[in-house]
Amino acid sequence: MKKKSPLSGACRNYEEDLVLYYYAESSVAESQRVERHLSECMTCRRFVDDLRGLLPQLAKSQDLPQTFWDSYYRETVAKLRERDERNNWWRNLIAPMKTWLVPTFGTAAVAVLVLGLFYGKISVPSFTDGSSAKLPSEIIADTNQLEFFRSLDMLESLSQIEVPDGGGMKPKSDRSSLSRIEQTTA
Amino acid sequence: MVDPQNCRDEELVVLCQQGRSECFEPLVRRYMQKAFHIAFGFTRDTESAKDLSQDAFLRAFSRIKQFDGRASFYTWFYRILINLCLDHARRSGKVTWQSLDDLSEKSNEQRQLADSRFRPEQEAIAGEASRRASETLQAMPNKQRTAFLLRNDQGLSIADVAKVMKTTEGTVRVYLHRAVAALRQSLVEFV
Repeated sequence: MKKKSPLSGACRNYEEDLVLYYYAESSVAESQRVERHLSECMTCRRFVDDLRGLLPQLAKSQDLPQTFWDSYYRETVAKLRERDERNNWWRNLIAPMKTWLVPTFGTAAVAVLVLGLFYGKISVPSFTDGSSAKLPSEIIADTNQLEFFRSLDMLESLSQIEVPDGGGMKPKSDRSSLSRIEQTTA
Repeated sequence: MVDPQNCRDEELVVLCQQGRSECFEPLVRRYMQKAFHIAFGFTRDTESAKDLSQDAFLRAFSRIKQFDGRASFYTWFYRILINLCLDHARRSGKVTWQSLDDLSEKSNEQRQLADSRFRPEQEAIAGEASRRASETLQAMPNKQRTAFLLRNDQGLSIADVAKVMKTTEGTVRVYLHRAVAALRQSLVEFV
Protein backbone atom coordinates (compact mmCIF):
# COMPACT_ATOMS: atom_id res chain seq x y z
CA MET A 1 0.00 0.00 0.00
CA LYS A 2 1.21 3.57 -0.64
CA LYS A 3 -0.29 6.92 0.18
CA LYS A 4 -2.19 8.74 -2.54
CA SER A 5 -4.25 11.88 -2.62
CA PRO A 6 -7.94 11.36 -1.90
CA LEU A 7 -10.14 10.74 -4.93
CA SER A 8 -13.74 11.69 -5.46
CA GLY A 9 -16.46 9.10 -5.11
CA ALA A 10 -18.32 7.36 -7.90
CA CYS A 11 -21.36 8.71 -9.70
CA ARG A 12 -24.16 8.70 -7.15
CA ASN A 13 -26.51 6.66 -9.34
CA TYR A 14 -23.92 3.97 -9.92
CA GLU A 15 -22.11 3.64 -6.60
CA GLU A 16 -24.19 0.75 -5.23
CA ASP A 17 -24.12 -0.99 -8.60
CA LEU A 18 -20.34 -0.66 -8.69
CA VAL A 19 -20.01 -2.35 -5.29
CA LEU A 20 -22.17 -5.26 -6.47
CA TYR A 21 -20.22 -5.37 -9.71
CA TYR A 22 -16.97 -5.64 -7.78
CA TYR A 23 -18.40 -8.56 -5.77
CA ALA A 24 -19.79 -10.19 -8.94
CA GLU A 25 -23.28 -10.04 -7.50
CA SER A 26 -24.88 -8.19 -10.41
CA SER A 27 -27.16 -9.78 -12.93
CA VAL A 28 -25.99 -10.04 -16.54
CA ALA A 29 -28.03 -7.03 -17.61
CA GLU A 30 -26.78 -4.96 -14.69
CA SER A 31 -23.17 -5.93 -15.35
CA GLN A 32 -23.48 -4.87 -18.97
CA ARG A 33 -24.99 -1.55 -17.95
CA VAL A 34 -22.17 -0.94 -15.46
CA GLU A 35 -19.48 -1.87 -17.98
CA ARG A 36 -20.93 0.53 -20.51
CA HIS A 37 -20.81 3.28 -17.93
CA LEU A 38 -17.27 2.39 -16.85
CA SER A 39 -16.11 2.72 -20.42
CA GLU A 40 -17.31 6.33 -20.33
CA CYS A 41 -16.60 7.44 -16.73
CA MET A 42 -13.04 7.65 -15.38
CA THR A 43 -14.22 8.52 -11.87
CA CYS A 44 -16.19 5.32 -11.55
CA ARG A 45 -13.31 3.32 -13.02
CA ARG A 46 -11.04 4.69 -10.29
CA PHE A 47 -13.68 3.85 -7.73
CA VAL A 48 -13.72 0.21 -8.80
CA ASP A 49 -9.89 0.15 -8.88
CA ASP A 50 -9.88 1.49 -5.32
CA LEU A 51 -12.15 -1.31 -4.24
CA ARG A 52 -9.91 -3.90 -5.91
CA GLY A 53 -6.88 -2.53 -4.08
CA LEU A 54 -8.54 -2.02 -0.72
CA LEU A 55 -11.09 -4.71 0.05
CA PRO A 56 -8.88 -7.81 -0.37
CA GLN A 57 -6.42 -6.26 2.07
CA LEU A 58 -9.16 -6.01 4.68
CA ALA A 59 -10.14 -9.62 4.09
CA LYS A 60 -6.72 -11.09 4.82
CA SER A 61 -6.23 -9.41 8.17
CA GLN A 62 -5.01 -12.51 9.97
CA ASP A 63 -2.18 -14.77 8.78
CA LEU A 64 -1.79 -17.03 11.76
CA PRO A 65 0.67 -19.93 11.95
CA GLN A 66 -0.41 -23.57 11.83
CA THR A 67 0.60 -24.03 15.48
CA PHE A 68 -2.09 -21.53 16.42
CA TRP A 69 -4.76 -23.52 14.55
CA ASP A 70 -3.58 -26.83 15.97
CA SER A 71 -3.82 -25.43 19.46
CA TYR A 72 -7.21 -23.86 18.70
CA TYR A 73 -8.54 -27.19 17.45
CA ARG A 74 -7.26 -29.15 20.45
CA GLU A 75 -8.75 -26.65 22.90
CA THR A 76 -12.12 -26.63 21.16
CA VAL A 77 -12.34 -30.43 21.01
CA ALA A 78 -11.41 -30.68 24.69
CA LYS A 79 -14.19 -28.24 25.58
CA LEU A 80 -16.66 -30.18 23.45
CA ARG A 81 -15.79 -33.47 25.14
CA GLU A 82 -16.10 -31.90 28.56
CA ARG A 83 -19.51 -30.53 27.64
CA ASP A 84 -20.58 -33.91 26.31
CA GLU A 85 -19.53 -35.68 29.50
CA ARG A 86 -21.33 -33.11 31.63
CA ASN A 87 -24.55 -33.48 29.64
CA ASN A 88 -24.46 -37.27 29.80
CA TRP A 89 -23.32 -37.87 33.39
CA TRP A 90 -26.46 -39.87 34.13
CA ARG A 91 -25.63 -42.33 31.37
CA ASN A 92 -22.26 -42.96 32.98
CA LEU A 93 -24.03 -43.50 36.28
CA ILE A 94 -26.44 -46.22 35.12
CA ALA A 95 -24.09 -47.89 32.63
CA PRO A 96 -22.75 -50.44 35.20
CA MET A 97 -26.30 -51.28 36.25
CA LYS A 98 -27.54 -52.10 32.77
CA THR A 99 -26.70 -55.83 32.99
CA TRP A 100 -28.93 -56.49 36.01
CA LEU A 101 -31.34 -53.55 35.91
CA VAL A 102 -34.01 -55.11 33.69
CA PRO A 103 -34.12 -58.53 35.39
CA THR A 104 -34.31 -56.85 38.81
CA PHE A 105 -37.19 -54.63 37.84
CA GLY A 106 -38.94 -57.53 36.16
CA THR A 107 -38.67 -59.73 39.23
CA ALA A 108 -39.85 -56.92 41.50
CA ALA A 109 -42.86 -56.26 39.28
CA VAL A 110 -43.87 -59.94 39.30
CA ALA A 111 -43.50 -60.12 43.10
CA VAL A 112 -45.68 -57.07 43.60
CA LEU A 113 -48.34 -58.55 41.31
CA VAL A 114 -48.34 -61.89 43.15
CA LEU A 115 -48.55 -60.28 46.57
CA GLY A 116 -51.34 -58.05 45.43
CA LEU A 117 -53.38 -60.96 44.14
CA PHE A 118 -52.70 -63.04 47.27
CA TYR A 119 -53.81 -60.44 49.73
CA GLY A 120 -56.69 -59.41 47.60
CA LYS A 121 -58.10 -62.99 47.46
CA ILE A 122 -58.04 -63.56 51.26
CA SER A 123 -59.79 -60.35 52.14
CA VAL A 124 -62.84 -60.81 49.88
CA PRO A 125 -64.61 -63.79 51.58
CA SER A 126 -64.10 -62.45 55.15
CA PHE A 127 -65.69 -59.22 54.18
CA THR A 128 -68.74 -60.99 52.76
CA ASP A 129 -69.27 -63.27 55.81
CA GLY A 130 -68.73 -60.58 58.35
CA SER A 131 -71.31 -58.25 56.93
CA SER A 132 -74.34 -60.28 58.00
CA ALA A 133 -72.87 -61.27 61.39
CA LYS A 134 -72.37 -57.63 62.33
CA LEU A 135 -76.02 -56.71 61.90
CA PRO A 136 -78.15 -56.87 65.12
CA SER A 137 -80.58 -59.79 65.19
CA GLU A 138 -83.53 -57.48 65.80
CA ILE A 139 -83.08 -55.90 62.42
CA ILE A 140 -83.05 -59.14 60.49
CA ALA A 141 -86.55 -59.57 59.20
CA ASP A 142 -88.45 -62.86 59.54
CA THR A 143 -90.99 -63.46 56.85
CA ASN A 144 -93.57 -65.07 59.11
CA GLN A 145 -93.48 -62.29 61.64
CA LEU A 146 -93.93 -59.71 58.89
CA GLU A 147 -97.16 -61.44 57.80
CA PHE A 148 -98.45 -61.40 61.37
CA PHE A 149 -97.79 -57.71 61.76
CA ARG A 150 -99.46 -56.98 58.45
CA SER A 151 -102.66 -58.75 59.60
CA LEU A 152 -102.68 -56.73 62.81
CA ASP A 153 -102.39 -53.50 60.80
CA MET A 154 -105.31 -54.54 58.63
CA LEU A 155 -107.48 -55.32 61.64
CA GLU A 156 -106.70 -52.02 63.24
CA SER A 157 -107.64 -50.13 60.14
CA LEU A 158 -110.93 -52.04 59.84
CA SER A 159 -111.96 -51.26 63.45
CA GLN A 160 -111.54 -47.57 62.80
CA ILE A 161 -114.04 -47.70 59.92
CA GLU A 162 -116.92 -49.43 61.99
CA VAL A 163 -119.96 -47.13 63.13
CA PRO A 164 -120.30 -46.87 66.96
CA ASP A 165 -123.71 -48.24 68.67
CA GLY A 166 -125.91 -45.85 70.78
CA GLY A 167 -124.96 -42.50 72.27
CA GLY A 168 -121.50 -43.19 72.88
CA MET A 169 -118.72 -42.60 70.48
CA LYS A 170 -116.85 -45.30 72.14
CA PRO A 171 -115.64 -47.54 69.49
CA LYS A 172 -116.37 -51.19 69.67
CA SER A 173 -113.27 -51.92 67.60
CA ASP A 174 -111.39 -53.51 70.43
CA ARG A 175 -114.06 -56.13 71.20
CA SER A 176 -114.90 -56.84 67.58
CA SER A 177 -111.30 -57.13 66.47
CA LEU A 178 -110.56 -59.46 69.39
CA SER A 179 -113.45 -61.72 68.48
CA ARG A 180 -112.26 -61.89 64.85
CA ILE A 181 -108.79 -62.79 65.97
CA GLU A 182 -110.18 -65.56 68.12
CA GLN A 183 -112.15 -66.82 65.13
CA THR A 184 -109.08 -66.62 62.94
CA THR A 185 -106.86 -68.48 65.37
CA ALA A 186 -109.55 -71.13 65.96
CA MET B 1 -17.52 -48.05 8.74
CA VAL B 2 -18.11 -44.46 7.62
CA ASP B 3 -15.14 -42.11 7.93
CA PRO B 4 -16.42 -38.82 9.40
CA GLN B 5 -13.63 -36.87 7.71
CA ASN B 6 -15.12 -37.68 4.31
CA CYS B 7 -18.73 -36.96 5.20
CA ARG B 8 -20.66 -33.91 4.11
CA ASP B 9 -21.80 -31.41 6.72
CA GLU B 10 -25.38 -32.70 6.73
CA GLU B 11 -24.24 -36.30 7.18
CA LEU B 12 -22.05 -35.35 10.13
CA VAL B 13 -24.95 -33.46 11.70
CA VAL B 14 -27.20 -36.51 11.40
CA LEU B 15 -24.55 -38.70 13.01
CA CYS B 16 -24.19 -36.21 15.87
CA GLN B 17 -27.94 -36.17 16.36
CA GLN B 18 -27.84 -39.97 16.61
CA GLY B 19 -25.42 -39.72 19.52
CA ARG B 20 -22.04 -39.89 17.82
CA SER B 21 -20.62 -36.76 19.40
CA GLU B 22 -17.17 -37.29 17.91
CA CYS B 23 -18.64 -36.52 14.47
CA PHE B 24 -18.83 -32.85 15.40
CA GLU B 25 -15.03 -32.58 15.46
CA PRO B 26 -14.59 -32.59 11.67
CA LEU B 27 -17.03 -29.66 11.52
CA VAL B 28 -14.77 -27.75 13.92
CA ARG B 29 -11.79 -28.47 11.69
CA ARG B 30 -13.66 -27.24 8.60
CA TYR B 31 -15.02 -23.99 9.98
CA MET B 32 -12.66 -22.91 12.75
CA GLN B 33 -10.66 -20.50 10.60
CA LYS B 34 -13.72 -18.85 9.11
CA ALA B 35 -15.38 -18.64 12.51
CA PHE B 36 -12.29 -17.09 14.03
CA HIS B 37 -12.00 -14.49 11.26
CA ILE B 38 -15.61 -13.44 11.59
CA ALA B 39 -15.22 -13.05 15.33
CA PHE B 40 -11.98 -11.14 14.80
CA GLY B 41 -13.78 -8.79 12.43
CA PHE B 42 -16.08 -7.85 15.31
CA THR B 43 -13.64 -7.85 18.19
CA ARG B 44 -10.31 -6.96 16.51
CA ASP B 45 -8.69 -8.96 19.32
CA THR B 46 -7.21 -12.46 18.95
CA GLU B 47 -8.13 -13.83 22.37
CA SER B 48 -11.68 -12.49 22.24
CA ALA B 49 -12.10 -13.85 18.72
CA LYS B 50 -10.89 -17.26 19.85
CA ASP B 51 -13.22 -17.31 22.86
CA LEU B 52 -16.24 -16.16 20.85
CA SER B 53 -15.70 -18.61 18.00
CA GLN B 54 -15.16 -21.50 20.43
CA ASP B 55 -18.32 -20.51 22.32
CA ALA B 56 -20.15 -20.63 19.00
CA PHE B 57 -18.97 -24.20 18.41
CA LEU B 58 -20.02 -25.21 21.92
CA ARG B 59 -23.43 -23.63 21.47
CA ALA B 60 -23.93 -25.29 18.11
CA PHE B 61 -22.91 -28.64 19.62
CA SER B 62 -25.39 -28.23 22.48
CA ARG B 63 -28.18 -27.37 20.06
CA ILE B 64 -27.33 -29.85 17.34
CA LYS B 65 -30.53 -31.82 17.91
CA GLN B 66 -32.55 -28.68 17.21
CA PHE B 67 -31.02 -28.31 13.75
CA ASP B 68 -33.77 -29.27 11.35
CA GLY B 69 -31.82 -29.18 8.10
CA ARG B 70 -33.89 -26.49 6.41
CA ALA B 71 -30.82 -24.25 6.11
CA SER B 72 -27.28 -25.46 5.50
CA PHE B 73 -25.16 -26.20 8.54
CA TYR B 74 -22.76 -23.31 7.96
CA THR B 75 -25.64 -20.81 7.59
CA TRP B 76 -27.12 -22.04 10.86
CA PHE B 77 -23.72 -21.99 12.55
CA TYR B 78 -22.83 -18.52 11.26
CA ARG B 79 -26.10 -17.24 12.65
CA ILE B 80 -25.16 -18.53 16.09
CA LEU B 81 -21.70 -16.98 15.77
CA ILE B 82 -22.97 -13.61 14.55
CA ASN B 83 -25.44 -13.38 17.44
CA LEU B 84 -22.64 -14.07 19.90
CA CYS B 85 -20.45 -11.45 18.23
CA LEU B 86 -23.23 -8.87 18.29
CA ASP B 87 -23.92 -9.57 21.97
CA HIS B 88 -20.23 -9.18 22.67
CA ALA B 89 -20.10 -5.91 20.71
CA ARG B 90 -23.05 -4.51 22.66
CA ARG B 91 -21.55 -5.50 26.00
CA SER B 92 -18.02 -4.29 25.39
CA GLY B 93 -18.11 -1.42 22.91
CA LYS B 94 -15.73 0.79 24.97
CA VAL B 95 -13.33 -2.05 25.61
CA THR B 96 -13.03 -2.56 21.86
CA TRP B 97 -11.99 1.06 21.39
CA GLN B 98 -9.34 0.77 24.10
CA SER B 99 -7.85 -2.31 22.55
CA LEU B 100 -7.38 -0.59 19.19
CA ASP B 101 -4.09 0.90 20.38
CA ASP B 102 -2.67 -2.61 20.65
CA LEU B 103 -4.25 -3.85 17.46
CA SER B 104 -1.65 -2.65 14.97
CA GLU B 105 1.21 -4.10 17.03
CA LYS B 106 -0.48 -7.49 17.32
CA SER B 107 -1.34 -7.46 13.61
CA ASN B 108 2.27 -6.68 12.77
CA GLU B 109 3.61 -9.50 14.94
CA GLN B 110 1.25 -11.99 13.38
CA ARG B 111 2.19 -10.89 9.86
CA GLN B 112 5.85 -11.23 10.68
CA LEU B 113 5.26 -14.81 11.80
CA ALA B 114 3.90 -15.52 8.35
CA ASP B 115 6.32 -13.45 6.26
CA SER B 116 9.72 -12.45 7.60
CA ARG B 117 10.39 -10.32 4.50
CA PHE B 118 7.84 -7.69 5.52
CA ARG B 119 9.50 -4.24 5.19
CA PRO B 120 9.15 -1.73 8.02
CA GLU B 121 7.66 1.00 5.82
CA GLN B 122 4.97 -1.22 4.48
CA GLU B 123 4.47 -2.51 7.96
CA ALA B 124 3.81 1.00 9.29
CA ILE B 125 1.39 1.90 6.52
CA ALA B 126 -0.40 -1.41 6.77
CA GLY B 127 -0.63 -0.96 10.52
CA GLU B 128 -2.14 2.47 10.15
CA ALA B 129 -4.58 1.26 7.51
CA SER B 130 -5.56 -1.61 9.73
CA ARG B 131 -6.19 0.78 12.57
CA ARG B 132 -8.34 3.01 10.38
CA ALA B 133 -10.26 0.02 9.07
CA SER B 134 -10.87 -1.22 12.59
CA GLU B 135 -12.09 2.16 13.72
CA THR B 136 -14.41 2.47 10.75
CA LEU B 137 -15.76 -1.04 11.18
CA GLN B 138 -16.39 -0.53 14.87
CA ALA B 139 -18.09 2.80 14.25
CA MET B 140 -20.57 1.52 11.68
CA PRO B 141 -23.91 -0.07 12.62
CA ASN B 142 -23.78 -3.75 13.54
CA LYS B 143 -25.81 -4.91 10.56
CA GLN B 144 -23.61 -3.09 8.07
CA ARG B 145 -20.51 -4.54 9.70
CA THR B 146 -22.03 -8.02 9.73
CA ALA B 147 -22.98 -7.86 6.06
CA PHE B 148 -19.52 -6.61 5.11
CA LEU B 149 -17.62 -9.23 7.12
CA LEU B 150 -19.70 -12.09 5.82
CA ARG B 151 -19.46 -10.98 2.19
CA ASN B 152 -15.94 -9.58 2.05
CA ASP B 153 -14.05 -11.70 4.58
CA GLN B 154 -15.98 -14.95 4.37
CA GLY B 155 -16.92 -14.88 0.73
CA LEU B 156 -20.56 -15.73 1.36
CA SER B 157 -22.93 -14.80 -1.44
CA ILE B 158 -25.44 -12.06 -0.79
CA ALA B 159 -28.17 -14.70 -0.77
CA ASP B 160 -26.36 -16.62 1.97
CA VAL B 161 -25.66 -13.44 3.92
CA ALA B 162 -29.38 -12.68 3.79
CA LYS B 163 -30.14 -16.16 5.20
CA VAL B 164 -27.64 -15.74 8.02
CA MET B 165 -28.93 -12.29 8.88
CA LYS B 166 -32.57 -13.31 8.36
CA THR B 167 -33.27 -10.43 6.05
CA THR B 168 -33.76 -9.79 2.33
CA GLU B 169 -31.08 -9.67 -0.32
CA GLY B 170 -32.02 -6.10 -1.15
CA THR B 171 -31.37 -5.07 2.45
CA VAL B 172 -28.01 -6.85 2.44
CA ARG B 173 -27.04 -4.97 -0.74
CA VAL B 174 -27.82 -1.67 0.97
CA TYR B 175 -25.79 -2.62 4.06
CA LEU B 176 -22.89 -3.76 1.93
CA HIS B 177 -22.88 -0.63 -0.16
CA ARG B 178 -22.90 1.63 2.88
CA ALA B 179 -20.15 -0.35 4.61
CA VAL B 180 -17.90 -0.31 1.56
CA ALA B 181 -18.48 3.39 0.98
CA ALA B 182 -17.57 4.16 4.60
CA LEU B 183 -14.43 2.05 4.49
CA ARG B 184 -13.32 3.44 1.21
CA GLN B 185 -13.82 6.96 2.45
CA SER B 186 -11.65 6.32 5.51
CA LEU B 187 -8.93 4.39 3.67
CA VAL B 188 -8.78 6.00 0.25
CA GLU B 189 -5.39 7.56 0.98
CA PHE B 190 -3.95 4.10 1.55
CA VAL B 191 -5.19 2.58 -1.68
